[in-house]
Amino acid sequence: MPQMGVSVVEGTVIEWRKRLGDWVESDETIAEVSTDKIDTEIPSPAAGRVVEILVDVGTTVEVGVTLARIATDARPGEPHDAERDAPQAQVAAAPAQEPAAAASPPKAPAAPAQPPRNRRYSPVVQRIAREHDVDPNEVQGSGRDGRVSKRDVMAYVENQRLSAPAQNDPPLHIESPYRADPDPGTGDGPYVPPEGRPLSRMRQLIGQNMHRSQQTAATCTTWIEVDVSRIELARKQKNITAMPLIARCAIGALVEFPQLNAWLEDDIHTVHEQVNLGVAVTLGDDDGLIVPVVRSAQDLSPEGLARRIRELARRARARQLTPDEVQGATFTLTNPGQFGSIMATPVISQPQVAILDVEAITKRPVVVTDAFGADAIAIRPMVILGLSWDHRALDGALAARFLANIKQRVESYES
Amino acid sequence: MATSSTAARTGPNTPSDSLPAHLTLDDRVGLLRAMLLMRTLEERAMNLYRQGKVPGSFYDGFGQEAVSVGAAWAMAAVDRLCVLHRDLGAHLVRGVQPDRILSQYMGREDGITGGRDGNVHFGDYRTGCVGMVSMLPDMMLVATGMAMAFKLRGEQRCALTCFGDGSTSRGDFHEAMNWAGVQKLPVIFVLENNQFAYSTPTHQQYAVNPIERAQTYGFPGVSVDGNDAEAMFEATSVARVRALEGGGPTLIEAVTMRMHGHAAHDDMKYVPKALFEEWRKKDPIDRQSARVAAHGVDVEALKTEVRDQVEQAAATALAGPMPEPESATERVFHPRDADEILLEDGAAPWSGFVTSSEGHRSR
Amino acid sequence: MTEGRNPILTYLQAISDGLRSEMREDERVLLMGQDIGVFGGAFKVTDGFIEEFGVDRVMDTPLAESGIVGTAVGAAVVGMRPVCEMQFADFVSCGFDQIINVAAKMLYRQGLPVNITVRLPSGGGFSGGPFHSQNPEAWFMHSPGIKVVAPSTAQDAKGMIIASIRDPNPVVFMEHKNLYRRIKGEVPEGSYETPFKARVAREGSDLVVITYGAMVHRALEATEDLDDAEIMVLDLRTLKPLDEQAILAAVRTCSKVVIVDEANETCAAGAQVAALIAEHGFEDLDGPIVRVASPDVPIPFSPPLEEAVLPSVDRVREACRQLLEY
Repeated sequence: MPQMGVSVVEGTVIEWRKRLGDWVESDETIAEVSTDKIDTEIPSPAAGRVVEILVDVGTTVEVGVTLARIATDARPGEPHDAERDAPQAQVAAAPAQEPAAAASPPKAPAAPAQPPRNRRYSPVVQRIAREHDVDPNEVQGSGRDGRVSKRDVMAYVENQRLSAPAQNDPPLHIESPYRADPDPGTGDGPYVPPEGRPLSRMRQLIGQNMHRSQQTAATCTTWIEVDVSRIELARKQKNITAMPLIARCAIGALVEFPQLNAWLEDDIHTVHEQVNLGVAVTLGDDDGLIVPVVRSAQDLSPEGLARRIRELARRARARQLTPDEVQGATFTLTNPGQFGSIMATPVISQPQVAILDVEAITKRPVVVTDAFGADAIAIRPMVILGLSWDHRALDGALAARFLANIKQRVESYES
Repeated sequence: MATSSTAARTGPNTPSDSLPAHLTLDDRVGLLRAMLLMRTLEERAMNLYRQGKVPGSFYDGFGQEAVSVGAAWAMAAVDRLCVLHRDLGAHLVRGVQPDRILSQYMGREDGITGGRDGNVHFGDYRTGCVGMVSMLPDMMLVATGMAMAFKLRGEQRCALTCFGDGSTSRGDFHEAMNWAGVQKLPVIFVLENNQFAYSTPTHQQYAVNPIERAQTYGFPGVSVDGNDAEAMFEATSVARVRALEGGGPTLIEAVTMRMHGHAAHDDMKYVPKALFEEWRKKDPIDRQSARVAAHGVDVEALKTEVRDQVEQAAATALAGPMPEPESATERVFHPRDADEILLEDGAAPWSGFVTSSEGHRSR
Repeated sequence: MTEGRNPILTYLQAISDGLRSEMREDERVLLMGQDIGVFGGAFKVTDGFIEEFGVDRVMDTPLAESGIVGTAVGAAVVGMRPVCEMQFADFVSCGFDQIINVAAKMLYRQGLPVNITVRLPSGGGFSGGPFHSQNPEAWFMHSPGIKVVAPSTAQDAKGMIIASIRDPNPVVFMEHKNLYRRIKGEVPEGSYETPFKARVAREGSDLVVITYGAMVHRALEATEDLDDAEIMVLDLRTLKPLDEQAILAAVRTCSKVVIVDEANETCAAGAQVAALIAEHGFEDLDGPIVRVASPDVPIPFSPPLEEAVLPSVDRVREACRQLLEY
């Protein structure tokens, strides 16, 4: 288990990309592991044949523990009859990985005790496998020479659906707290609960973080309504989203109220000079979120922020973030408003003392007062900013003033 | 072969001297004007061609203007025409605007085919003309078919088709002549014998002059001075009356000479100089000019008028846009729900069509 | 005729019925061909027509295919609706120039539509020999400006000849002469049009045979009871334009495709179908696109030779079986 990040002490194997008996090239990805910071692909240290897998998927071991053994004196194409009792990795059948999966067999025979076969998949089989996130290598072929037919893969998919094995979810850094609760069941008669399953590693990690935060901090939330008309105008002119503009305003407020740009760890209160802005980014999965950090965000313009955020998001989704890119945040910004929700109670990311939540921008009728004091109704794009803050480090008044500062910056924004 | 049981529509074989086929001075000037317009237009177009504004090939009917102008002058508005690449005069008589012709040559959007076909490969259906194909005698059958429809419907109309000496060697010439003869159709075959088919002289084209073979198809063949617009008019008029009276087809040989090359790229080295000089003296425009000048018409003024008209046409055409590339794949099929498009009547400037005389009434 | 049911007609009778119906409805319709009048047509399609419609509308033409088509073009542009018959599809080559150069290109070049229909009694299977057995549809599919249709049932034959006459464009109508008296079916009375679209002759999901004309019947026979597989048969009916949507939908459902052409293999209609599927249906394929066609030889006369050339029921069945097993 490699050491990924200075403070990392342990890691969990998420997925084996090579199985027992497979050939692996030097630097070719052999496994994927997760720490509480990040998940990363592990490149193989050498070329050779995987002869032993010591740590199962889902197991957590300390840094330095051997994960697998590679025979470097082996030659590709040799037959072998290693047992397949190592747990199977569920390969997400992403299109980019298909050629890799299909290309490796020529170097390493597939399964033991089966005649070597040239595993090719017809276009429709590949498409169906891709659509259903199925590994065609897993499918028994009933066609000529063991060819996997459309019928075979459809039968496999149907089987999967019926037996629904445990999924290894891709790991997260911090979970989004905004997912809807599952519907409560309704029915008559004595309720027969379905079989429960243990939470995934990722879920457990996130849960621990959330729980720890709730137990540690004295979390309160304050909200303020903001008119984002000027932001809307500016974002169209600059051709960016509203988020970096609001972020810019928040950073400006943080410079004026540095007490919110701070850490609290065991009564040690550290106020930071530079703003390392953590920006929550969805990974594109159903419930995947990661928070890469924009270092020295106070030096960036909205356009610069937009660019930096975009780049970090791209790398996050491609699983290319380094551990250092996800640590060191002094303040966090989260923006789940894309789904239409207007308010939330975000959870502070330890050891920070605050987190700002930007919900959906919706058009509302508001009262506007003109220069002569006359009131009128206008339609304005409005957003509710929510700030969760740690009452151990500050009071509500400061939180409110901080929010008011953001509001004033947003409502008077000029490019 | 089973013989057709079509009831033969016989009519009197009208002798030519009883035809009221006279031309007023206006007609005579009109003939000259049309020939001048054809020649001036083609000269202007040749210039544009040499300037690179006319893509592809360039064909003209220099020296043959009388053939198409004289023949078209005899056609009523309801008649239909299939003419070829040296018959620009027919299009002008029928009413096609000169600027649209130049646009056509330059492949512009306002050309009659909108850039779909080039040079004289056009037929403005609004003037009752069917555009030619490059397989020239094919159009003889189309004209025959139009005549066939007229006869079947009992209409007092005829069709005219022009083709060259070279066309007579192809099968469609025979099929058309035969078909028209056996069904006695109101079609006028105008054989433009300009002595050469590209570089092939007539004595290498046929053993017996087609005029002599017409009778074997069941109808007369007449030979006419193709460089005399009025003679052409006369012969065509006679043929038309014949056709309308149920006499069937006529083959008119318009004897003329192609004074330019087959196309602009042809230098005509194969034509004997003496032959060329002989025909130069018979220029149709010179002859018609002399005719009308003798009646006091200011030919120079007419020429100036025509030149101005052509200049204006050129200016209009040059200002027009090229076709949109996206339009290249349009109009391959006519939609079911679209209006039917048929050939329409063209202009018929002969004075005889204006006065209501029998058999020459225009619709 | 049974009350409440449509009359049963042969494929040939259906074509006659369609022609007659349209002749009655539209006085502009003019039939032209060799021996179609007094003789009633070489195959008797126009038997009795001259008595009903007269010599002016049922025209016995000279023996001149180019003449028939060329004059038809002329008649069409002055408002008639000619229906030309080539006595055998094979002889259309004598009128080829008029079809592809004069008729087909007139609208595109001159804006003048040419409403002609050219009926081609096509196909082999009765010792017709090289000049009486051809399937020349590909020549016309390849020429822009021409529609090509090929019904396989009596009902479609009537509906499509009517639709072809009404279509304002040149339409080449492939009537398979081996189906003339062999195929019978219910044919609705009166006037109706069959759209220029494909038809599912039999539903299925394991494999689809895509074909047209006489081969539709051969395909149905060959796949009736094949290893418990459910084999779809798609009757193209229209070759130009091809019903791309129907073809791709069938490929999506079945994923295995056998295309049958009675015509010679190279550049037959099926080759275009195969190219279409390879390009637009790639991700739905569970096996190579298989073609069954006559080899590139003139259709021979002697029965054992002809049978060896034209796609047989066994050949089609075997191709399907191989592909099912793939």
